[in-house]
Amino acid sequence: MRDDTLHEPEQALHVEDLTVTYGANPVLWDIDLDIPPGVMCAIVGPNGAGKSTLIKAALGLVRPVAGHVRFLGRPIGQMRGQIGYVPQRHSVDWDFPTTARDVVEMGLYRDLGWLRRPGKAEHARALAALAEVGMQDYADRQISQLSGGQQQRVFIARALVQDAPILILDEPMAGVDASTEAIIIALLKKLRDAGRTVIVVHHDLTTVQSYFDWLVMLNVRIIAQGPVAQTYSADNLRAAYGRHLAMIAVPAEEAAS
Amino acid sequence: MTAIIDLFSSDIVQTVLIGAALLGAISGMLGAFAVLRRQSLLGDALSHAALPGVCLGFLIAGGRDLGSVMVGAFATGALAALVMMLIVRRTSLKTDAALGIVLSVFFAVGIVLLTVIQTQGGSGSLGLMTFLFGQAAAILRSDLWVMGGVGLVALLLVLAFWKEFKLVSFDAAFARAQGFPVTALEAVLTVMVALAIVVGLQLVGVVLMVALLIAPAAAARQWTNSLGGMVVLSAAIGAASGAGGALVSATTRGLATGPVVVLIATGIVMVSLLIAPGRGLVWQATAARRARARISDGRVLATLQGFAQMHDDAGYPSERGMLQVALGVKPPAATLASLESRGLIRSVTHPPETTPHWELTKAGHSEAAALSGQPETRQRTT
Repeated sequence: MRDDTLHEPEQALHVEDLTVTYGANPVLWDIDLDIPPGVMCAIVGPNGAGKSTLIKAALGLVRPVAGHVRFLGRPIGQMRGQIGYVPQRHSVDWDFPTTARDVVEMGLYRDLGWLRRPGKAEHARALAALAEVGMQDYADRQISQLSGGQQQRVFIARALVQDAPILILDEPMAGVDASTEAIIIALLKKLRDAGRTVIVVHHDLTTVQSYFDWLVMLNVRIIAQGPVAQTYSADNLRAAYGRHLAMIAVPAEEAAS
Repeated sequence: MTAIIDLFSSDIVQTVLIGAALLGAISGMLGAFAVLRRQSLLGDALSHAALPGVCLGFLIAGGRDLGSVMVGAFATGALAALVMMLIVRRTSLKTDAALGIVLSVFFAVGIVLLTVIQTQGGSGSLGLMTFLFGQAAAILRSDLWVMGGVGLVALLLVLAFWKEFKLVSFDAAFARAQGFPVTALEAVLTVMVALAIVVGLQLVGVVLMVALLIAPAAAARQWTNSLGGMVVLSAAIGAASGAGGALVSATTRGLATGPVVVLIATGIVMVSLLIAPGRGLVWQATAARRARARISDGRVLATLQGFAQMHDDAGYPSERGMLQVALGVKPPAATLASLESRGLIRSVTHPPETTPHWELTKAGHSEAAALSGQPETRQRTT
């Protein structure tokens, strides 16, 4: 059954004709999207634009009514271990009785396979991943006792521990303070510079230009995609956000012209 | 004393004790996962929906045969879960409404069947009533093998899929993205909860069964910070409640087992909610009181001075809530009163707000300034 024919292998993420509906309403309509490897890409768009849905459909968490998705040429089923996924922080109950290190080890469960428990090697890898996000001192801390920014970093460590070439993060900057945001961005840039592909659902337009080098602008349809320098324009922002919110784009308009 | 020894050597009491402890342990273990997955109320719907199945099993087998009763209970419970899933997916009703509808409809059908069987009479129809509120004394020695089997299967499954169950309970979306068969794992957990309910019906009955799922888990969560600890402790609390309830109802005439078991389990929950270290209410209150006692006069003055400087207003009226946030705890009334009586602060009103405000007096400002450079003044910046 396994089809080893690569389709668009030169793209880290290739999406074609993707349509997702909730009931009768299209949440994503006819998405054609290519994100090359080694970029740090922001997916932006107004509320309800389908940003999270796009990620979930790409990861196979939401079933599309049409279209297909490829990571480095392969369908998601063959790429599970090579994509680090950071869901929205509020999607889980942080009062769950477990420690930071334990959560990070969850990123290794897939590699462990059935019936095997994490051992010394996994503990060490989890600690190393926590150290990468500056959380090594909190390894044995209850996750309920961590601040929002620390919880977010634990989530990122869980994706890092897999050593995946592609990282997908859903609103990692939501509800974290400025210093945590700086830590996260520095880390993501470091990963990008090491050759990984980093895809981030982002909501803060003011930081798009300083954080990212690739941009996907979304509002049910694709409004624009490509290098930030070319896509972050007043016209595109107006098309995605409507007239009023495009006010944010005034400095960008100057920069672009 | 000899009466108690006699009691324990009695075959029936032994059976009842072992059975009740087993049922409590099984539902405690599986209840921990149900509570963490926020499926406690699904357990309630499943147990109520088991009643028509109990009656049907009784009708088909022509008597109170545990095997057919359990199969029937499991069948209607599963049907109820399916109907609920369909309602949530296909209609605009939310989970809680779907749960309420399914629970009451299935329970109503069960009651109708129960009364039909009772009017038909028959020697066994009395035994059926025990499924409403549970009757530990009705447990037979042969039933223990069924319960033990179910318990063993559940234990083996939990041990074998420990990390998968943990992952699915904590973050199902991540598990799915990692390629785990989340739907199958969740189905196994739900089916196990349904099994626990089915075997627990005899002890606690359909009406109160959900308490035996939730209460041990809720109590256990208070005392431990690891999933393993929670599951083990929850099973232990369930077993203790079951055994305790069975003993009480075996030694006291006319006490139904189910309610006693539930009362013991919820009693443990109450105690745990109050005194468990770290999470208990009394513990937290004590910790807050200790923290309040550490609030010195100087820190209050320094905080008020900090607010005044921040606002560039020597007479800045600081609201109690602001003091509380800056100090980390509510400033003790005694501290404020003593500062006021020493003429360092004065209580002021700040319309339209009706809450108490304080400002530093002249003496208070010089006192605060004199304290500056001392450790307390660092509070200003935090």
